[in-house]
This record gives sequence, C-alpha cells and structure tokens, in this order.
Amino acid sequence: MAETLLAATGVTKRFGGLVAVNNVGFHIEQGMVAGLIGPNGAGKTTFFNMITGVYKPTEGSISFAGENITGMRPDLVQARGISRTFQNIRLFAQLSALENVLVGLHSRLHGTVIEAFMRPPRVIHEERQAVDKSLQILDFVGLGRKVADTAASNLPYGYQRRLEIARALVSDPKLLLLDEPTAGMNPQEKSDLTRLVDQVRHELGVTVLLIEHDMRVVMGISDRVTVLDHGEKIAEGLPNEVQNNPQVIEAYLGQGAAAEGA
Amino acid sequence: MKSKLFSNLALLGIILAAVLALVMGGWSLPVLVVLAATLVGLGARNNNQGLGRAALVGAIGALVVVIGAVIHNTLIVSLPDVDAIPVESTTVVVYAGVIVLGALVAPLVAFFNGHPNDRVRRYSLLGFIAICAVIFPFYEQGTQLLWASAIIVALFYTLQALGLNIVAGYSGMLDLGYVAFFAIGGYTAGLLLSPQLPEVYALRWSFWIVIFIAAALAALFGLLLGAPVIPLRGDYLAIVTLGFGEIVPIVFKNLEAVKIYEPISEMIAYITGNPAIARCLIGCGEKALNITNGTQGVNPIDRPIINLTGIGIPVNYTFQTGEYIPWYFLILIFVAIAAFFIHRLRQSRTGRAFVSQRDNELAANAMGVPLVRTKLTAFMLGAMFSGFAGAFYASYVSFISPDAFDFSISVIVLVMVILGGQASIPGVILGGFVVKLVDLLILDKVQLVFGGLLKATILKNAPDGLALFLSSLFDITQYKLLLFGLALVTMMLVRPQGLIPAGIVKYDTKS
Repeated sequence: MAETLLAATGVTKRFGGLVAVNNVGFHIEQGMVAGLIGPNGAGKTTFFNMITGVYKPTEGSISFAGENITGMRPDLVQARGISRTFQNIRLFAQLSALENVLVGLHSRLHGTVIEAFMRPPRVIHEERQAVDKSLQILDFVGLGRKVADTAASNLPYGYQRRLEIARALVSDPKLLLLDEPTAGMNPQEKSDLTRLVDQVRHELGVTVLLIEHDMRVVMGISDRVTVLDHGEKIAEGLPNEVQNNPQVIEAYLGQGAAAEGA
Repeated sequence: MKSKLFSNLALLGIILAAVLALVMGGWSLPVLVVLAATLVGLGARNNNQGLGRAALVGAIGALVVVIGAVIHNTLIVSLPDVDAIPVESTTVVVYAGVIVLGALVAPLVAFFNGHPNDRVRRYSLLGFIAICAVIFPFYEQGTQLLWASAIIVALFYTLQALGLNIVAGYSGMLDLGYVAFFAIGGYTAGLLLSPQLPEVYALRWSFWIVIFIAAALAALFGLLLGAPVIPLRGDYLAIVTLGFGEIVPIVFKNLEAVKIYEPISEMIAYITGNPAIARCLIGCGEKALNITNGTQGVNPIDRPIINLTGIGIPVNYTFQTGEYIPWYFLILIFVAIAAFFIHRLRQSRTGRAFVSQRDNELAANAMGVPLVRTKLTAFMLGAMFSGFAGAFYASYVSFISPDAFDFSISVIVLVMVILGGQASIPGVILGGFVVKLVDLLILDKVQLVFGGLLKATILKNAPDGLALFLSSLFDITQYKLLLFGLALVTMMLVRPQGLIPAGIVKYDTKS
C-alpha cells in the first residue's frame, strides 16, 4: 500500500462572492498518476494554484509528505518537491532552453553573489553538474542538446511544452503537476506526450497529477480520475468508472446526452 | 551575412567617421579611422574575399575620412567664428599614414572576428579594445585632443549604467531615482575625505577604503528603500524611486543646520511651553551642526594617493586636477572590473534568478526563485555601483553639492541602458559612451561648424537682431535633451532591442 504523498482536506477558495473551489478533499498516493478533469471553470487550475501556493485556501488544509503546506509561498513549495507546468505556457522567453531548465534548479543550488564573482571550485563544480543535469533532462523529454542554446520563444509549440516539463523535472520533484500538457497538440504529439508522462512515472519515480481535457489521454494514463464541476468534487475512481458516471456525463455534455465514444 | 561590398555596419562606420572628421578634424583623424576600420572589420567575413574586401573598404573608408578632414582643414577652418584646429604641415604624411592604418585595422579585425573558435573571437576583440584603451590616453595627451575629461565623465556614467542595468535590464525593475545612490556615494566619500567634519578628517581615511564604505552605504540605502516597496507592484517602485531621487539630494542640502533634541524632553517642553526642558543631543553649541554645508557644498575632497614606498617601490603619487591619465586609468579599471563582475553574475544562479523573474514572475516563483529576495539583491547591487561612481566623482571634482545630483542624471543613465541595449553589457557600455560623448564632445563641435556655416552664409547680411535670434534658434546645444528624447523614441520604433542587443547566454556544454 503506497503512502499518501499529498492530502487536501476540505479545501475551499472564495474570491469575494464567487466560490471557485468548494470543500474538496483529495489525496494522492506515491507513484500514482492521478487525473483531474472537469468542464472549463470547474476550479481545476485554482486547485493546482492552491497546492503550489499561488493562492491561499480560504478554508481547509493541504499536507505534503506529512508536512502542512497550506498557504506556503510557491518557491518554498517547490523546494519541498512539488513542481508544475502551466496551462498557458510560461517559459522565460528571452532565455535559452538550457537556461530555462537551469532556473528550475535554483532551489537546489547554493551559489551566492560573491561566489558568482570569485568562482571558487565548489561553485564551478556545482554549475557544471547543473548544466549536465539540465542537458540530461532535455534529452529525457526528447529535446536534446541541439535546442539548448535556442531562445525559448523561438521554439515550436510542442517543444515549448516539453521544455516546461523539463524545467519542472530537473529539480527531482516528488510530485509533478501538469496543467493541460497536451493542449493544442495533434494526436501524434499527444501520444508522444502520454508516453513521456508514463516514462516520468516509471523511470523517474515521480508522482504525477494532471489536468486534462482530452479524455483519451487522461483515461489512458491515469490510475485514478477525479472530476470537479463548479468547484465541487462530483466523482472519483478508476477511469472507466468515472467515464460511465451519469453525473460526469451530464456535467460535460448537459442533461440527456450520451457520452461520446472514448 | 551580406556579400555586398558595403555591409550596413561598415557603411555606418564610414559615414559616421567621415562626418566626425569633417566636424572635428585635426588629430582626431587616426582615432576616427581606427573606429571606422573596426566597424568595417566587424562587418566583414573571414575568408580571402572578405579580408580583401575589408582591406579595400578600410582603405576607401580611410580615404573618405581623410577627405572629410581635408575639407575641415581647408574650408571649415577658414570659416569666421569657428574655432577649429587644422593639422600641421606634416599633413600629407599624416593623411597617408592614416589611410594605411585604416587599410590595416579593417582586415585584422575581420580576421579575428571571423575565427571559428568562440573564445578566440571574444578574447581577441577584448584584447584589441584593451590595447586601444591603454594607448588612447597617451595619444590624446600627446596630440592635445582635449577629450580626456569628457571620456572620464563618460566612464563614470558608464559605471552607473552598468549598475542600473542590473536593476532595469536584468531584473526589469524601473528605477527613476538612481541618482540618489550616486549622491549617497558622493557625500559619503566627501564627508570622509574632506575637512567638513574635523573629527572625521583627523582620521585621515584613505580613498581606497572610502570608496568601499561609500558603495556599502549606498547598498544599505538600496536595502532600506527597496525592502518596503519591492513586494508591491512595479509601478509603485518607479514612483517611490522617483521620489527618493528627489528627496536624497534635498536631505543633503538641509543637513547644514542639524540640531537634535532628546524626544521625550522635547515633547514635554512643547506641551508645557517651557523650551528649557528640552535636552539637546546634537548640534547644541552656538551654531547647529553643519554636516553637509548645504548648497555651498563639501570641499576640498582628498584625492587618491598611491604610496608604494612602504614596500620599497619609489612611487608616491597623489592624483591631481588636470593630470588626467591616472584618473582615466582608475575609472577604466573600475569599469572593467564592474563589467567582469556583472558578466559573471549573469551566468550564475543569481543572474538567472534576476532574468527569470523579469521574463515571467509567476513561473520563476513556481520554479523556486524567491521573488522579494531576488529583486532586493538586484536593487542593492545596482545601488552599490552607483555608490562607487559617486565616490569617484566626489574625489575627481574635489567638490560636491546637492545641485550636482538632479533628476536628469537618473534619466540619462536610464537612456544609456535602454539605448545601448538592456541586459547587454557591451550594449550598455556603448550606450554610455555614445550618449555622453555626443553630449560633451560632438554636439559642441557640430554646433561650432554649422553655427559658423550659418553665420558665414545666411546671416552675413542679416540685421543684428535677426541674426542673433536665428543663431540661437538653430543652436543644437540648446536642444540636447530634445535630441536625446528623439533618439530614444526613434530607437524604440526602429530597434527596441538597443544598439547591441542582449544575446543568448551560452554555457560550456562539452562534457
């Protein structure tokens, strides 16, 4: 029985009068790939943002690896081992692909300003290792050295998505949050990315939580799927259980509609 | 890469140098030729054709520049009211030699610029610039070009621009009051190195220690100012820094009559209406404590002393006004070290934190970059460099007053950063030089020539009143700030990335 890595209890987020997330309980076990689905506006990204510290929950608590991380600053959450990608790609446009990934290592490196100038052997070694690790991760996500020195904004869309994942993975996170990683991709690219997520789980041992709209992707790769609608959890369970749940079908397609073929 | 004979850069170099030769003439010629030839070389390709072309273009360029100088020597010098200096009777030899120089420098630069090895390219260009920088002051002194003081000013402004680049270029923070740190550095050095505060002066601080104290104090104020504001949105930082840039010099102006009472007794005295109760802590004598001497300023401020007799070398030199070469090398070394430091900083974890939070704050934060600490560090480092520049300035001029530190300095330094190329060290250095040298050297000379032309032609027969009006209307030096504004706007439209844009930072990826 795998241990619980992330546990959210009674998490609620109110923006003034709008309740974006309403009393959601949620847990992820180590090593699983969990899917989070729901119509647009269901509160999925808001939920992500609360886990990563971008928003502070109005009510409820979140714990990670036994530690209470409710309301913790995003950079401290990252240092604890939770990394994420973004729905709208948020790369550092003017930096090279390699530098984008190197930024992901910020919390793992220790060079100070004075050391940046003096370059003692310790820092040279640390930077060297950081570059090697970053190149390794770029290879892992399928980008390779050739794009290392290309400006992030000059990369094609599919590469940019992979680069974001590389940046999130380089710090050896325990939990990886992917926010709609296959948005805007064609079926081939989606299938490649699904394979990548699988590799992340099996080769790197990273637990994954992903938000997705493409049912084929989510159902294909998730061990367990949670469904949000209007900020509330309406279903949770194995992919095919959730797929046939009438409440879920109604949430996506309205009353009286039959589910589209998978 | 263009294969036509004149690449844009080469053409630019030649036109620029020709116009300058026309305007400045005299011994500025070889300098302008080397400049033009360098640009030609940078624009050429390194192959036999390219080298041949570079040599040819170098020669043509030098010839064009020489023609400009000949016109200067003959026509312009003879214009009434124009105070231009011609080249002496060694004219022919000089001009011939200058053509050869141009023809040589161009392919030399082209050769090294086209070298496949990145390191060779970079170090050879740096070496070339270093050699020119070292030779130049001696040439300038020998030929009495009178450029030394302008170049020293350009250099300590460049030092500030490098510092502001960390804040505005790397970190994307708009600082509109950068002059505050210049003032803090200047006054710290001034108060420690002048007889203004006798007890302090008795300690006879050394300039070499005082500059670090000045820089540290400026950085401290960067922390004090930045800490409350940086967590807020960037617009607020701009307004607050603008305010601080105004407040700091005013504070220095008002510190000429300081009298501080112990607060509680002062309160009681006020309430009871009995002033005698208030206990005076500072400035209790007949005259209140005069810290900064207000608008009269602090002077004389001690100069740096290099005294090596202690280690057996018979050198004991105190920097002097008018002996420019030591000052030049001093500020040059400051700028070189600053550029080196900032270059290394950019490639480090800290530098990556700066630029990542500039490009996407939310993502940087999510990737582990602490926002407040990062921005504050950038702000303090920027302040530190301005502090160094201020201390240098105080000693160089040996006099500082609040009027020296006004808003236009903040603006000019910002213009240097933006015009030259934000987040680009060579860009900022070039921006610093272009802005200041145009301001101090070129505009005046241009005005001299065209004003003279105007007087000699259109105004020759005009009535006095009209002549006066027109000559002041068409006086370019009056329009300096307008010209800088126009230049900035033009750059933003035509080339927003600046003269030398920031490139991709490369890391050594060979395992």
